[in-house]
Amino acid sequence: MQPFSSTEAVIKLQSVRAGYGNTCVLSVDELSISSQERVFILGRSGSGKTTLSRLIKGRIPVMEGELSVLGESNVISNRDIQRRIAMVDQDFNLIPRLTLVENVLTGALGRTSPFRTFLGWYPASEWEKAESILAEVGLDGLGNRRIDTLSGGQQQRAAIARALMQDADIIIADEPVSNLDPELAEDALALLVACTARREVTLLVNLHQPRLARKFATRVLGLADGCIVYDGDPENLSTRDEEFIYRESELNPVSKDALSHDTSPAKMA
Amino acid sequence: MTPLQQRWLNRKGLHALIAAVLLAVVVWAFMRSEFNLVNLRESGPNILEFLTRLVPPDWSVTELVIKATIETLTIALCGTFIAVIVSLPLGFLAASNITPAWISFPVKTILGFIRSIPIIVIAVLFVAAVGLGPFPGVLAVALHSIGMLAKFYAEEFETADKDIVQAVKGTGASWLQTLQYGLFTQSKPQIVAFTIYRLEMNFRDATVLGIVGAGGIGTYILMYTQSFQYDRVAVLLVVIGVVVFLLDQISFWVRKWVG
Repeated sequence: MQPFSSTEAVIKLQSVRAGYGNTCVLSVDELSISSQERVFILGRSGSGKTTLSRLIKGRIPVMEGELSVLGESNVISNRDIQRRIAMVDQDFNLIPRLTLVENVLTGALGRTSPFRTFLGWYPASEWEKAESILAEVGLDGLGNRRIDTLSGGQQQRAAIARALMQDADIIIADEPVSNLDPELAEDALALLVACTARREVTLLVNLHQPRLARKFATRVLGLADGCIVYDGDPENLSTRDEEFIYRESELNPVSKDALSHDTSPAKMA
Repeated sequence: MTPLQQRWLNRKGLHALIAAVLLAVVVWAFMRSEFNLVNLRESGPNILEFLTRLVPPDWSVTELVIKATIETLTIALCGTFIAVIVSLPLGFLAASNITPAWISFPVKTILGFIRSIPIIVIAVLFVAAVGLGPFPGVLAVALHSIGMLAKFYAEEFETADKDIVQAVKGTGASWLQTLQYGLFTQSKPQIVAFTIYRLEMNFRDATVLGIVGAGGIGTYILMYTQSFQYDRVAVLLVVIGVVVFLLDQISFWVRKWVG
């Protein structure tokens, strides 16, 4: 795979519709995200933020339209692409019974031989890398602690460390700080932004706090009712824009149904 | 009566009906099994006499009995080991969250069939096939355990947190790596605990295998009971009791350790 230049789009969506079952919850006419952008996605719960990130990560298929991530349209079953898109989930989804360092090392599964990983015998270089990442995220000295003995803030850092271990080109964080108190939340975001900036990674963050988006983003997307309603610089994000993004849903349940019927298989065909 | 109250009453009525049917079945079962309290009271002296003939135990056979018990233990250990090796992949195949239904359903059905065959019948078949001794015992314990272990493993895999599995897959892990790190690691404590419990059960099961010639302590159980040497049966009971107690303790500590 060729490395992407900073001007090239690493994520492209063209007339994309996505959702669950027959229900469409996301409809994006056009979206292009370039390498090394830090895109913060704002929106109410249910606005389609998580669906957008799950779509880009390849956890759900495209219903309609074209999606290209790192130049590939098949994200779901392409292991190399999977490795190059790291995800920091809201609930962290770390493996509870393994130690911190073992969890971070799972970030190297995609490039380590199955014989080695069967025995948990990662190469020395991966151990060194894992240890340096643990130091980078401020968890040095805790490597041998079981993950379920760590605090929420520490688990958050562990999830970031695992994502960094993947050597990914894109890191997606789905409401990464919603389980943390406000101070910890800002620290965790600062850490995530600093670590990704050092690596020239494209960062996508789903968030509820416009204040934090203004502070850390290079670009802000506002989602409402499954559509992009704001796309621009964080500096230009006005309070009115915020109110628009976070307004009460204007669509009543009936017209929401209409949206979902619109993408029923019969219509799509 | 309000509709809510009516529904509550309907539900209670249904519960009462189910309880009545179950009770009727139990009463029928007691009648069918010729349960007779008068007979039990009249047999009291016989039972008492049997108990008195157990003491004093004839300790001269202790060494023989211990050797046979070790053979039974080895049967249980080897049989359980083989069962674990076979059951893990079968468990994956039978787990409906990782395997398509057209594979998991037939595998589950076959496992159910294996479970339904009594171990003593399996042992008779293997004795006929491979001859007398502990070897057919090992095979019988292994086959019998597979039916239960694989089903249990599958159920454990099915309850695993699928988001964690997805997170592991998302690192670019292969299918096998995802199974090992995402799924197996989550289920490991329950799997270890149940396997140890199964080993315990297998030892108890294996004690009777000698009755059909499949090795171990069962040979002596048959011999001493049929020749009315109850003082020697007493030694058997003591030794088996001690081993079961020890296995129970080991099982407890292992479960605590992995828990």
